Amino acid sequence: MDRILENFITVLRRSGVRVSVSETMDAVRAVALSGYEDRQLVKDFLAASLAKSQPEKLIFESCFDNFFNVEGLGGQNALSANQIATPAEHLSAPLTQMLLSGSGGGLSLAFREAALGAGIKDIQYPQQRGIYIQKLLQILGLNGLNEDIQNQAAKGSAESAALAKSLESMRDDLMRLARDLIDRQLDLYASKRSEEMLERQLNFTNLSTLEERDLIRIQVIIQKMVKRLKDRYSRRPKAARRGQLDLKRTMRKNIVYGGVPFDPKWKSKKIDRPEVVVLCDVSRSVSNVVRFLLLILYSLNEVISKIRSFAFCTNLVEVSSFFEKYPVHEAISKILSGDGLSIVLRKTDYGRSFTDFREQHSDCLSKKTTVIILGDARSNFGEPRTDILRFISERCKRLIWLNPEAPLRWGSGDSEMKKYIPYCTLARECSTLHHLESVVGSLLRSR
Amino acid sequence: MSLGKWTGFDSREGVREGLKTVGYIATDRIANTVYLASQLAKPILVEGPAGVGKTELAKATASFMRVPLIRLQCYEGLDESKALYEWKYGKQLLYTQLLKDKLDRIVQGEMDLSESIEKLHQYDDIFFSPRFLEPRPLLKALQQKEGAVLLVDEIDKSDDEFEAFLLEILSDFQVSIPEIGTIEATSLPFVFLTSNSTRELSEALQRRCLHLYISFPDEKLEREIVRSRVPDITEKLNRQLVAFINKVRQLDIKKLPSVSETIDWARTLVLLHAENLDREMVRETLNTFLKRQEDMQVAEGRLDELTEQAVREAR
Repeated sequence: MDRILENFITVLRRSGVRVSVSETMDAVRAVALSGYEDRQLVKDFLAASLAKSQPEKLIFESCFDNFFNVEGLGGQNALSANQIATPAEHLSAPLTQMLLSGSGGGLSLAFREAALGAGIKDIQYPQQRGIYIQKLLQILGLNGLNEDIQNQAAKGSAESAALAKSLESMRDDLMRLARDLIDRQLDLYASKRSEEMLERQLNFTNLSTLEERDLIRIQVIIQKMVKRLKDRYSRRPKAARRGQLDLKRTMRKNIVYGGVPFDPKWKSKKIDRPEVVVLCDVSRSVSNVVRFLLLILYSLNEVISKIRSFAFCTNLVEVSSFFEKYPVHEAISKILSGDGLSIVLRKTDYGRSFTDFREQHSDCLSKKTTVIILGDARSNFGEPRTDILRFISERCKRLIWLNPEAPLRWGSGDSEMKKYIPYCTLARECSTLHHLESVVGSLLRSR
Repeated sequence: MSLGKWTGFDSREGVREGLKTVGYIATDRIANTVYLASQLAKPILVEGPAGVGKTELAKATASFMRVPLIRLQCYEGLDESKALYEWKYGKQLLYTQLLKDKLDRIVQGEMDLSESIEKLHQYDDIFFSPRFLEPRPLLKALQQKEGAVLLVDEIDKSDDEFEAFLLEILSDFQVSIPEIGTIEATSLPFVFLTSNSTRELSEALQRRCLHLYISFPDEKLEREIVRSRVPDITEKLNRQLVAFINKVRQLDIKKLPSVSETIDWARTLVLLHAENLDREMVRETLNTFLKRQEDMQVAEGRLDELTEQAVREAR
């Protein structure tokens, strides 16, 4: 396999396009068919064999343009040989020769070789740009060029001064080109890596310490997560279990044929999607985590057939309609500010909120329902009403409590967590995106 | 394995011209990809918005190659018995009933059960032979002697399981039938899969296909398409109409007008002997390319402006 293609595929992979070995082989065969002469043809062939979805196509386009961009190197600024009448015997450096002869092709080739020699592929951070530019120019033979310029300037004749001047401007161009090249390489090779690092870090950061500027990034991560979960769990509800005869249905159906099984019926399996009821504490102490939980639940709407959300602080109100009416961020900030809701945002009262739920909404509980409660269980020393939690727990399939506090602090101070735990199917700490993901995963998995 | 023996597939220009003769105006990218697929003998996965001519590409390729087009429309719950093959159960049953006497005679005179079973065993494969096999599209495509174009339409509507099951056919062009064995393609079919991206396809499937994304054509190409499909249209009207449609596509509407709808509209206007786009004409024929009430309201609100712009631009 040739080096160019190999490098290009590396670039694609680093930019997030998944390229498998078999696709690489396709690309090799495609290029063998097309050659490198016709740029558009190579592009179409490689696009067809390497980028397999619309987003990947976009990445491919920009990578291709960056990678196979050799125009703009040399040529346009290099003075052509006939403009400079001076015999070139004093100009010893090969780089000078190349510049003066105006051979764009030779220059770009030299650039490419120098880039390989300088190990540009390993560039990771923008801060390394200076080092790599220096390295690249060294290999290209900048020293020789500098000497030539000095020699010419030292001669003193008007002609050689002019030559020195034009060489200087060419040197500036060269530096600019080197800088561009490095920038492009940085785009190609490094952007993905730093992105990945940031993402990894955000996944394990405590949600309550996240800052506003991370929000957009977080949302992207959540969308990725939801998509992954969705891909994994959103199988179609009806799938035939091939080859298994449904005896009862077959017999019933074939009574009309006198019991001769003319029309066999096959078993099919049904996959239930869980119904979810979420109760969210929106008091100030947990509001940061609620934002994220609401965000992820909002996105999960498509996977989960029925989802009803309630927010509570002093009392409890249903907020499901908000999710349908408003775009995600608007809905969440409306809920958190209590705008347009009959929610009272004073002291958190778990007892009263549970009472509200039992009196007004207990009809949404069934044996298929999973109830998720998100809160720190800090009820300001009010009556915890564990009897209602038991009532809920008995009427649903699962009761999951997600607490943003670490288990060590459960039960300390006004936290009623210890009293609530016996009625929960699952009680977990949930303070990072990583926690959230594992909880949501298990929610969808255990049907 | 190569499909190079098919006439017309010897160069990419050949492909493009060939598609043109059957009325499909292909962009360079489409022609190049089809050419590449024919050389590598790989299926093409075609994606893009609804109505840009994904299915049409397969049809055009089939008629250009002069082979039958075998189409498999995917839907939720589609399974092997609908897509690949099915035993003709009724026929099997009927034959056993009819041949009852014959079977009786065969086992006549045998003393015990094991002997009769032994005897029957000599015949057992009769009822599971190709005669009792009902080929469905996939098997049919493999059995075509002269080759075929197999179109698996809207693969994204099918289940994950079905997608996994397609893999064997797409990579090896063969299917296994437990009772008979492996059936290999007599001549490789040219496979197109189309998807509207309502869900992400599995990586394994993507890996086995070449990928082609068709977006809405630019105005020049769309005019060419309209001209080839509606030869009676005047150049002036064609320009105005395509400009108008492209304006509409930039509006905030739910369902963008597709290329096929552009053609429908062109036909309508030609039937109405229109020379020029004017507001009334557009208003009356709006429903040929806008199919939702809300979309129509959006467009109607800006009808004057759009018509005027389109007419001006086409000049």
